[in-house]
Amino acid sequence: MHIPDSFMPLSQAIVYWAIAIPFIIMSLRWSRKEMDDTKIPILAALAAGIFAIQALNIPIGMGTSGHMVGATLVAIVLGSPWAGLLVLTLVLIVQGFVFGDGGITVMGANIINMGLISGFIGYYTFVGLKKRVSMSIAAYVGAWLGLFIASLAVAFEMWLAGTFPLVPGLIAMGTFHFIIGIVAEGLITTIALAAIARSRPDLLSDTVKDSRGVEA
Amino acid sequence: MNNNMKFLLIGLAIAITISVAAPFLASPAPDGLESSAKNVIEESKFAVLEESEPAIQFPMPDYSIEGMGKSGEIVAITVGSVAMLLIAYGIGKAAKI
Repeated sequence: MHIPDSFMPLSQAIVYWAIAIPFIIMSLRWSRKEMDDTKIPILAALAAGIFAIQALNIPIGMGTSGHMVGATLVAIVLGSPWAGLLVLTLVLIVQGFVFGDGGITVMGANIINMGLISGFIGYYTFVGLKKRVSMSIAAYVGAWLGLFIASLAVAFEMWLAGTFPLVPGLIAMGTFHFIIGIVAEGLITTIALAAIARSRPDLLSDTVKDSRGVEA
Repeated sequence: MNNNMKFLLIGLAIAITISVAAPFLASPAPDGLESSAKNVIEESKFAVLEESEPAIQFPMPDYSIEGMGKSGEIVAITVGSVAMLLIAYGIGKAAKI
């Protein structure tokens, strides 16, 4: 769901930057407060992994593909949605400037959609659900919902930009990302989290302590 | 080496594995947004949007290196993954200064 520059007029792209910047600053404040020598390697490993997995588009049928975003996974592992926003901001900067993936003027909008909307909805859905269901189900549903809602936000922004008609845009984006959320975001988030829970349960002890039953 | 440096190295190994495999495994089909654009925008308008030239030259456009085919894609994605690791590590460290 990386919006290219040609899909949004500059006047609107600037507005999204203006909204995104305070959130980016807050994510840097989070990192200043929370990062220590034990968490920095985890942040770095997740950033590398998220970048790589975003290059792996999975076919979903209908002549379409999609990839994981990853903000929810980062937020769950590091115990804060600000971590997801920070990692996605860094990933989008590198993708935009080095690889031409996702626009530069519209980067603010891409940061809001993938870093803020998908990560915050994904993380807080996970937090809300984990008291009632297993960690895996909570993570799957959270990651799926975060991606799905973010895709609807993109459709809405594309309508404001005059690029998409509203209802067909919402239906197309919603349909494709409903599936991408199932086969990519939800599935990979759950697998990665289960692997971490098995090998390093101590890392997730704060995040999943309310989870019913054992980790993973 | 504490446990979390091990986490970093395993994470890096996974990222590099994905980077090497992605050029062979990734679907070339348009992503959800592009596919939506094709479906909901008139063809003439879509062509204009797709053809618009980027304002700057990217070092490795579309995760590739000109003239290097699949090996160029492997290099591009691997370089990106390693760069992300270093940048995130640097930001984490810089935040403590």
